[in-house]
Amino acid sequence: MEPVGRKEELLRRIAVALRGHEAIKSASGATAGREAALSVADRIARFRNMFESQGGNFLAGPSLDPLLPELGEALRISGVTALFSPRGDERARLVAETLVPFGPFRLASPGEIRQLSAPSSAGFQTAEFAIAETGTIVQSGQKGKTLLPGLISDVHVAILSPAAFVDRMEECLAALSEDLPRTISFITGPSRTGDIEQTLTIGAHGPKKVIAVLLP
Amino acid sequence: MEPLSRFFYRRSEKALSDATLQASISRTTGKFVGARADAVAAFPGFETARDEGSRIKRETLDRLDHHLGRFIDEAERRGAVIHAARDGAEAREIATRIAKEEGVTLAVKSKSMVGEEVDLTGALEAAGVEVVESDLGEFIVQLAGETPSHIIAPAVHKTREQVSKLFVEKLGEPYTDKIPELVAIARRRLREKFLSAGMGVSGANFLCADTGSIALVTNEGNGRMGTTLPRVHLVVAGIEKVIPRLSDLPVFLRLLPRSATGQPISTYVSVLTGVKRPEDPEGPEKLHIILLDNGRSGILKGKYRDILKCIRCGACLNICPVYQSVGGHAYGWTYPGPIGSVLTPLMTGLAEGVPLANASTLCGACADVCPVKIPIPGLLLELRADERDRGLKDPAEVFGMKGYAAVMSRAGILEALERIAGVISSVFLKEGKAPWLPFRFSGWTDRRDFPAPAPQPFRKLWKKQRGIRPWNR
Ligand code: SF4
Repeated sequence: MEPVGRKEELLRRIAVALRGHEAIKSASGATAGREAALSVADRIARFRNMFESQGGNFLAGPSLDPLLPELGEALRISGVTALFSPRGDERARLVAETLVPFGPFRLASPGEIRQLSAPSSAGFQTAEFAIAETGTIVQSGQKGKTLLPGLISDVHVAILSPAAFVDRMEECLAALSEDLPRTISFITGPSRTGDIEQTLTIGAHGPKKVIAVLLP
Repeated sequence: MEPLSRFFYRRSEKALSDATLQASISRTTGKFVGARADAVAAFPGFETARDEGSRIKRETLDRLDHHLGRFIDEAERRGAVIHAARDGAEAREIATRIAKEEGVTLAVKSKSMVGEEVDLTGALEAAGVEVVESDLGEFIVQLAGETPSHIIAPAVHKTREQVSKLFVEKLGEPYTDKIPELVAIARRRLREKFLSAGMGVSGANFLCADTGSIALVTNEGNGRMGTTLPRVHLVVAGIEKVIPRLSDLPVFLRLLPRSATGQPISTYVSVLTGVKRPEDPEGPEKLHIILLDNGRSGILKGKYRDILKCIRCGACLNICPVYQSVGGHAYGWTYPGPIGSVLTPLMTGLAEGVPLANASTLCGACADVCPVKIPIPGLLLELRADERDRGLKDPAEVFGMKGYAAVMSRAGILEALERIAGVISSVFLKEGKAPWLPFRFSGWTDRRDFPAPAPQPFRKLWKKQRGIRPWNR
């Protein structure tokens, strides 16, 4: 579609522009934020601190059962009625199914939630990483995973295991680089905007609430 | 966007007398400045990250042909179609051709300053495509038929009442001045568009050369939806957006949100690589990337190369006393504030943009906050020198400055002039100020009084005082 010439011409134009104007020489600097690796417990504590300070909700327990009433309540007050999880994500499906009796909930399919007329929904999905440095949940499209639970739902419930926690962004990107998916999505708290009078308002286009559920 | 920067003085006078605008500018810049300062204080690695970010950006620019070439190869390998645009007209032509060939009738657009720069929306609309701005601020500005006034918060110049009136008039929604309700209206109206659009249009915060990835940073989540749901994704990005490696991205993610809004990280960061794979349930089947030159390779050539390091965080706008006074629209083109004062003359021509370079006190606040350490005041001075060298300065001003230099370097002449000035001032003085200066210098006294010469020249006082200094006893 594109005449090949234009791209080459652009690169040539740049090469000519660079010629004769000296490049700066600088020493390779240190890397910011690099500290000794944290223990798993510290990593989780730091994640929680950063995640909550940016509006995320964090739940952790020895098993799913004691968390269900609180999780159900959090979804109910957000007006959620439909729960969905991606095909193949057994852990997420289990959490969603077990939660049904804890509110006016029913299970739905991702396809239904994609409709404009969809009911208010919570999307459940196992997160691949949780980054302690920034309090970020990472969902990616690796191996054909869907992105809808963290994208179009009103509440996103990310299921975490202790193995998902990393200290820094670099580690997560390095791990995903081996087989780079089309989408890597960093999610840090609920969707927000400050576009009207600089007033922080939750729920612009993405989930209005993001709940991280840490299970052993 | 048609530049209007040569009218800076007239436009800023208008801005200065607009009380509503003044209130919104000071509220916004105040909040941003405070949030940034807090975020930087809370992150001990910030200075190291600045050094690193600045170095990576500069080294990339120094070998941009290599890195951009790599980006093109890697992105193509993963299914992207790369287009090179020499200027805005070519970018518009390519974008409309893509829309036509892909059969697009509705496009959702995320915020893109490059999109504004080349007026992508206008071009697509002229070609019969409905383009919906999906960033809330841009959505408001689009409904109002205006242009953004801040690169991070496009609608800072609008109050909630003004937004509400717009929603009543343009969308037929009921009046409300509650901000959450206004946001909910936009969410509902735009969700409709996300689900039915054939094409998502976005800019790019970073282009990663080693993987051909596009990194997008947003808070609202519009960037993710617009680049995941529609069948076609169109990216328009300046050639300077390249960073060498995906592994360099975290450095910039530590700098950009802190500098822009004071957040440790933006709510959403998307790293998008190529097109939808066969096993993927979502993602665009087609990915078009327009790489825009529009004068950038020319800037690369000379002493202004550092300005291309800019990551468009907006920190220099918020901290700038000039921006704080006149807001974004007075600057007359896509990029306002200190960054705009350098970019506009370089991209639209000296004659058009140089009033911006002159409208600075060179206080240096912008350079202090810039996350990639661009020496903005130095570049502004270079622009002023270029203006003189190209004969664009008023000859009287050049002559005056030369005279000033000659006088200041000769003590005898200076003393004589001081005496004369003392006498004249006793005749023309008004409350200790000179209310006007002769025509050529009236620019100094149109808006303020010029301080009158002191009856006792400083040099005379100094001599007198020195006599009683202890070390002279
Ligand atoms: S010049 Fe520096 S401070 Fe200003 S927008 Fe660009 S990166 Fe930010």
